[in-house]
Amino acid sequence: MWQKSLNINEEEEKKALKKAPSLRFRFILTGTLVIGVIAALAVNLIFDYSQKLADLSYDRLLRSALLQMDENIGLIRNEVSIDIPWSAFATLAQADEDRVFYKVESLEKGFITGYQDLNSLPPKPPVLDQVQFYNQEYSGEMVRFAWVERHLTDPETAQTVRIVLGQTRLSREEMASAITQKAIQFVLFIALVAITLIIIGSHLVLRPLHRIEGALEERAMGDLTPIDINTPKETHHLKVAINHFMVRLQKNLEQLENYTADAAHQLRTPLASLRALAENARDDIFADKNSLGSQPSNSLPLSKGESKSSPEKQYQALDNIIKQCDGLSQTVTLLLNQAVVSHRLQTHRLESIDLLEPITASCREQALTALHQGVHLSLECDLKQTLILGDSFAIQQMMQNLIENAVRYSGVDIEHATEVIVQVSEFETFYRIKVIDYGGGIPDVEKGRVFERFYRGRYDIAGSGVGLAMVKDIIDHHGARIVILDTEPKGTTFQVDFAKYKYKEGLV
Amino acid sequence: MKHFTLKLFSLKSLSFKTGAVLIVLMMSVFCTKLWAQEPVWFGNKNASRILYINSALDLASFEPILNTFAALHPDVRIAYRDVNTLDLYFLTIEQQAVEQQSIDKKAHPIASLTISSAMDLHLKLVNDGYAQTYQSSFTDRLADNFKWRNQLFAFSLEPIVMLVNKQAFPGNLPEDRQSLLQTIRQNGDDITKRIGTYDIRQSGVGYLLASQDARQADATWGRLLEAFGSHDVQTYCCTHQIIDDVASGKLVLGYNLLGSYASQRARDDDRLKMILPKDYTLMLMRAALIPKNAPNPEDAGIFMDFLLSDTAQKMMQDQGLLFPIRPDLNNPNDPYVVDAPGPTGVIELDQQLLVGRDYAKQKRFIHNWEIALEISKGE
Repeated sequence: MWQKSLNINEEEEKKALKKAPSLRFRFILTGTLVIGVIAALAVNLIFDYSQKLADLSYDRLLRSALLQMDENIGLIRNEVSIDIPWSAFATLAQADEDRVFYKVESLEKGFITGYQDLNSLPPKPPVLDQVQFYNQEYSGEMVRFAWVERHLTDPETAQTVRIVLGQTRLSREEMASAITQKAIQFVLFIALVAITLIIIGSHLVLRPLHRIEGALEERAMGDLTPIDINTPKETHHLKVAINHFMVRLQKNLEQLENYTADAAHQLRTPLASLRALAENARDDIFADKNSLGSQPSNSLPLSKGESKSSPEKQYQALDNIIKQCDGLSQTVTLLLNQAVVSHRLQTHRLESIDLLEPITASCREQALTALHQGVHLSLECDLKQTLILGDSFAIQQMMQNLIENAVRYSGVDIEHATEVIVQVSEFETFYRIKVIDYGGGIPDVEKGRVFERFYRGRYDIAGSGVGLAMVKDIIDHHGARIVILDTEPKGTTFQVDFAKYKYKEGLV
Repeated sequence: MKHFTLKLFSLKSLSFKTGAVLIVLMMSVFCTKLWAQEPVWFGNKNASRILYINSALDLASFEPILNTFAALHPDVRIAYRDVNTLDLYFLTIEQQAVEQQSIDKKAHPIASLTISSAMDLHLKLVNDGYAQTYQSSFTDRLADNFKWRNQLFAFSLEPIVMLVNKQAFPGNLPEDRQSLLQTIRQNGDDITKRIGTYDIRQSGVGYLLASQDARQADATWGRLLEAFGSHDVQTYCCTHQIIDDVASGKLVLGYNLLGSYASQRARDDDRLKMILPKDYTLMLMRAALIPKNAPNPEDAGIFMDFLLSDTAQKMMQDQGLLFPIRPDLNNPNDPYVVDAPGPTGVIELDQQLLVGRDYAKQKRFIHNWEIALEISKGE
């Protein structure tokens, strides 16, 4: 059975693991995407750059050829004459597969030489003596043109000559693609290296986590000692957090153990007494039935009345049982409350509350019970708002215990005290709650011990011995302080101070 | 479209009308003449495919190669038209126009391959977009300086030579241009009207060689031209006519002749001697291209591969037809290996050739040539 459910859990875990997003995968994916984008940008730049570079280098050739042509233009008998030097085209022949087109014309006299249907107007506005480069389609191919215009003057005439020299783009494209290819290979290589580094890096980064995970997995059940493995700075906090968590867990476990022990202890005594009572009642009935002379063997104080007739005895015995049950029930409630308070203190964060609220609620709740016992409970307070940082439920439980305690001890002496006063007053940095009774009081030697668990000042008075321990827990948790004072002329005063919300920092 | 430049401005510019107008007139005349002329056929009459070749290559040098090709490819029939280099240039452009005007192609078959020794004109055709790209393992094997843009492929590299009639030539045979000039000066009367060279207005390759001479050695070229002019040099359209006249003794010397033709004739004729000028020897390539609108580019490609193949290259060499382009096949002792006594000036197959064909430069060059030879005056 156990084995089977474990298997199911493992399967579910595996399913959950499959569904869960992978940190490493995300890391690698994001890294790869970023690198991909960068690589794409780089490739784009390279395309642009290689084109520019190829144009730059081949434009030099083109310019050189153009200037050589330009140098060989002259005016002979008012006629523009050009003698294209062989070297000009030898320069162009360095782009060995590229076709060459050119045109020389005079703005005044028209076409001089070259390809007559060539468009000799540059795309940019012409500037004299300034070489322009541009791409234009000619003879079914994209051609790179160099363009220049200049004045020719001699004493008799002045002419403007325009030279256009073009070269197809084959060599340029070849060079550009060669550059691009190399550069892209390089970029791809870098990108691959980067991605590999990311994959390796992700493994290295996550390894300390796996180590912590392994260390936790290998632990024996119930081993809550701090993890003791060397981890890098980045995971140190995680380790510390886990260790803190384990300390808290340990504390919780200890408290749970204590509580279980408390509860067992609390329940054992009343149960034993209940059993004794029930046994007594049974024996009485048996004795009544068999012989009137027989003596009851128990020593309980409640079975003193020998003279009482048997129905009365039975009634008495059952009444005792019921009382004992009430007591037990009260104890169980107390234990439950204590469990709830303890749980709340562990799990709930303290928040700003009005201190008066739980006090008032508690007083209202207790007033009637107290009256049943002949005690008048009164709340003295003229404050409007009393903000503290605390847990409302816990404080209410605390007040309930203090008041119950006060009421209980009011009736200890023969001279029955009839009053329990709850006072709330304000000081500069704190609120003070006083629970004053006029009962028998607590001797000074015992004052230090009343908050101990299961310590009971007087065993003749009903009580669990955990109420004040719980009060102390709550006080400690709130960072408040509690003092036990003597009431004048007699009795006990519990004095609790809660820091004001805004002064909390200063006090703690 | 580019030849319009030439045509239009030949008409416009009155000062240089003669040379230019001639070209234009010729153009309109030769076309009709050419269409009328029946091509030479090679191969099986019933072959399924026909490959039209327009070529400025004498059949005497090319026939064996064409026959071998036809034997190797019985399904291809070759129609071979021998055309002057300059005519070939205009014809190729014209045929592109024919395509555009969609004139009946059967009456005017368009060539799928053109072969020329006027490298500059062929290169200009490629530059101006009249050729199509072709690539094969044979063209890839060809060195980069023997092809351009994978559209123009050279298959032969031959020297430009002088051919003399040993008996008729006065004095010592010239070794170079300087000694030729000296001979002309010393034997003025014997030389007058007895030197033949290309008419650069009629022959594309003639113009190319002249312009390359001017480029290589401008001063020598000027003096030579002056000497030619003062001694009434005879001008011809074609190499074989010059060679015929040198052989017959009408001429004592032919200047700037194609080495392949000259060597062929000199080998068979004792009267003739081929001289590779010692000062510099021009080296000329014969190149082929597939026109853009070629109707049968597949077979043109096959033929191109054949021209570049070991078979054809070896044939050129072994049978003394042409000087092959692939020196790796050359036999060191072969007479058809160029063994120039002086430096060689290989005419490079690249954009520089366009300079020689620059409209203004060409006009001026022809004009100067005419003045020097005093031909324009004569007309």
